[in-house]
Amino acid sequence: MTRVNLLLLVAVLLTALYVVHTQYESRRIFVELENASAQGRKLETDNRTLQAEKRSQATPLRVDKLAKGKLQMLPATAAITQYVSVGKP
Amino acid sequence: MRRSIRYSSSPLLASRTPVWRSKFIVAAIALGFAGLATRAAHIQIFGNDFFQRQGEVRFVRTLELPASRGRILDRNGLILASSIPAQSIWAIPEDVVVSKAQLAELARLLDMPASVVEERLSNDDRTFVWLKRQVDESVAKQIAELDIKGLYQRKEYKRQYPDGEATAHVVGFANVENQGQEGMELTFNKELNGRAGSRRVIKDRQGRVIEDLREQVPPVEGKDLQLSIDSRVQFFAYQKLRDTVISFKAKAGSVVVLDAVTGEVLALANYPSYVPDKRVNLNGEQLRNRALTDTFEPGSTMKPITVAMALEAGRVTPQTTIETAPGRFTMGGFTISDTHNYGTLTVEGVIQKSSNVGALKIAQKMSPNEMWDTYTALGYGQKPQIQFPGAVTGRVRPWKTWRPIEQATMAYGYGLSASLFQMAHSYTAFAHDGRIIPLTMLKSTEPAVGVRVFSPENSHAIRRMLQMAAAPGGTGQLAQTVGYSVGGKSGTAHKQVGKGYASNKYRSWFTGIAPIDSPRIVVAVMIDEPSNGQYFGGIVAAPVFSETVQQTLRMMGLPPDVAVKPQIVTSPVEESF
Repeated sequence: MTRVNLLLLVAVLLTALYVVHTQYESRRIFVELENASAQGRKLETDNRTLQAEKRSQATPLRVDKLAKGKLQMLPATAAITQYVSVGKP
Repeated sequence: MRRSIRYSSSPLLASRTPVWRSKFIVAAIALGFAGLATRAAHIQIFGNDFFQRQGEVRFVRTLELPASRGRILDRNGLILASSIPAQSIWAIPEDVVVSKAQLAELARLLDMPASVVEERLSNDDRTFVWLKRQVDESVAKQIAELDIKGLYQRKEYKRQYPDGEATAHVVGFANVENQGQEGMELTFNKELNGRAGSRRVIKDRQGRVIEDLREQVPPVEGKDLQLSIDSRVQFFAYQKLRDTVISFKAKAGSVVVLDAVTGEVLALANYPSYVPDKRVNLNGEQLRNRALTDTFEPGSTMKPITVAMALEAGRVTPQTTIETAPGRFTMGGFTISDTHNYGTLTVEGVIQKSSNVGALKIAQKMSPNEMWDTYTALGYGQKPQIQFPGAVTGRVRPWKTWRPIEQATMAYGYGLSASLFQMAHSYTAFAHDGRIIPLTMLKSTEPAVGVRVFSPENSHAIRRMLQMAAAPGGTGQLAQTVGYSVGGKSGTAHKQVGKGYASNKYRSWFTGIAPIDSPRIVVAVMIDEPSNGQYFGGIVAAPVFSETVQQTLRMMGLPPDVAVKPQIVTSPVEESF
C-alpha cells in the first residue's frame, strides 16, 4: 500500500512539474508571438508611411515644378506628339 | 465498560476525565471542518461567478484593437489621403519637472510660444493636458530625448493629403479624432473608419500580455475609397484655374471635368483653396466648394438647351431663319438686346453669335410647360444626385408662375439659377447622344446608362452648333485646342447684388464638350469677378477650358481627331511638311 502511495506521489509531483513547465513554455511562446505580431503591425504602418512619403515626393505639383524648373520641359501637345497606330505600317 | 480514560500513571494527573468532553471536542472540530467545507463549496460552486469576476478585474485587461482609417485613392490608385502614425504629447502638470532650457527646446520643437507651453504645464488644477496633438514621429523622438518628467506621448494617427490644395475640396479633411469634416472624408466617413475590435488578455505585474483569453473581436479595417478623380487632370485644372484667377484679378473660380461616357467626375477644383494638412485661419471663402454650392444665372449656357428643346419639339430645324434685327426686342416694358445687330440668323447662327433676341424668339415657339419639363429633366432645380455634402439645388420656379417676359429671359439663362456642376451635368445630355447620365465621384468602368432627353440626331446637331460657337466667327474661339475638336458655349453675366445687377461685377464661364464626334469629356469653367478690364467668358474662361481639354484628352490617350500641323523636328534636313 505504501509503495503504491509513494508511486502516486512521485507521479503527482512529476505531472505537476510538467504542468508548470508547459505553462511557462506556452507563455514564453505567446510573448514571442505577441512581439512578432506587434512587429508585423509596425512594419505594416511603416509600409503605409513610406508609401505616403513616396507619394508626397511624386505629387503632380512637385513633378511639374521640377520638370519645368530644373529640366526645362514643356507640357506636351498633340502638335509635338508622334502618334502611331498598332497594326498599321 | 470503563466510563473514563486514564491519561497518566501519575497519581497527580489521575483525575478522571469524563468521556463526553473528548466527544465534544471531536464534534466541535468536525463542525469547524464542516463550516470550512461549506464555505469552500460556497466559494467554489455557488459564489463562483463573483469571485471569478473579482479575479479577472485584478489581472484581465480588455485591449482595444484600433481599426485604421481607409485611404482615399484617385482613379489610378494614387494616394489622395492616408493615415500615418503621429505622436500626441500630453502631460500631468503636477508631475512635470522641467528646466528653463528644456522648456525653450520643447517650445521650439512643438513650434509653440514658450509662454503657452509654460502656462499649460503650470496648470496644476488639471491632471491631464494635451500639449500638442499629432506631432511628426521625428519631432516626437527629439521630445522623448529631452526626457522631461511628467511628459508623455500617445500614438495616434493623422491624415496626410499629398496633393494638398489641388484636391482639397474633393477629398475634404478629417479632424484630429479621425472623423471626416468635409468632402469625401465626410460623405464616406463610416466606410473609411471601419470598426475597432477588442481582445481580452491577462497581463503580468509589469504590464506585459502573457495570455490571450481567446475572446477576440477582430477590428473591421476601414475600406479604401477609390475616387473617379484623376489627380493629374485635377492638378492641371487647378493650376490653370489658379493662374487665370490671379492674372485676371478675379475673386474666385471653379472648374469641373466630367467623363461623358461613364459619368465620372474626373476633376473638380476651386480657387481659392486651402492646404488640408495645415488648417489654421481657414475662412469660408477658402472652404467653399463653389462648383457645387454657388448658384448663379447660367446666362448664354442655356441657349443651346433652348434650341435643343425647340428642335426636339419639331418647332425649328438648324437651318430655320430667325429675324434678330434690329438687335433689340421690347416685351412687357423690358428691352432685350444683343451686343450687335446680327440681322437674319439661322438657328445655328443664334448659337454661334449668342443672340439673346434669337434665343427668346425660339423660346416663344415653346410653352412654359415644355420648357420646365426639359429644365427639370436636365437637372435644373433638382438636387444633384452626387455623393457630396452641401450640393445645392438651384432654382427653377414652377412654370405656372412664369410671366411671358420671364419665359423669354429664361431662354438665354436669366431668371433661373444653377451651380456650375449642374451646368456641366446638363451638357452630358449633348455629349451622351441625348441622354443625361448620372454622375459619380467613385471610379466606375461601366458606361453610364442615361435618361433620354433629346434624340441622338438633335444632340448631334447641337454639338455642331457648339463647335461653330467655339470656332472662328463664334464667341468662344479661344477654346480651340491643338488636335482635338471642341464645342462649347461661353457665358458672361452681371452679378446679382441685392435685388439688382451690379454694373461692374461679372461672372464669366465656359461650358463645352470634346471631341465633337464622339465626346469623351464635358468641361465647365467659371471665373468670378474678373477685374482687370476683361470679363467676357470667351476671353477669360475659354483658355482654361482649352488647356484643360487638351491635357485631359491627351492623358486619356486619345489620338487627335483634327489635323495637326506637327511641330516635331526629327532632323533639320528631313522636314516632311
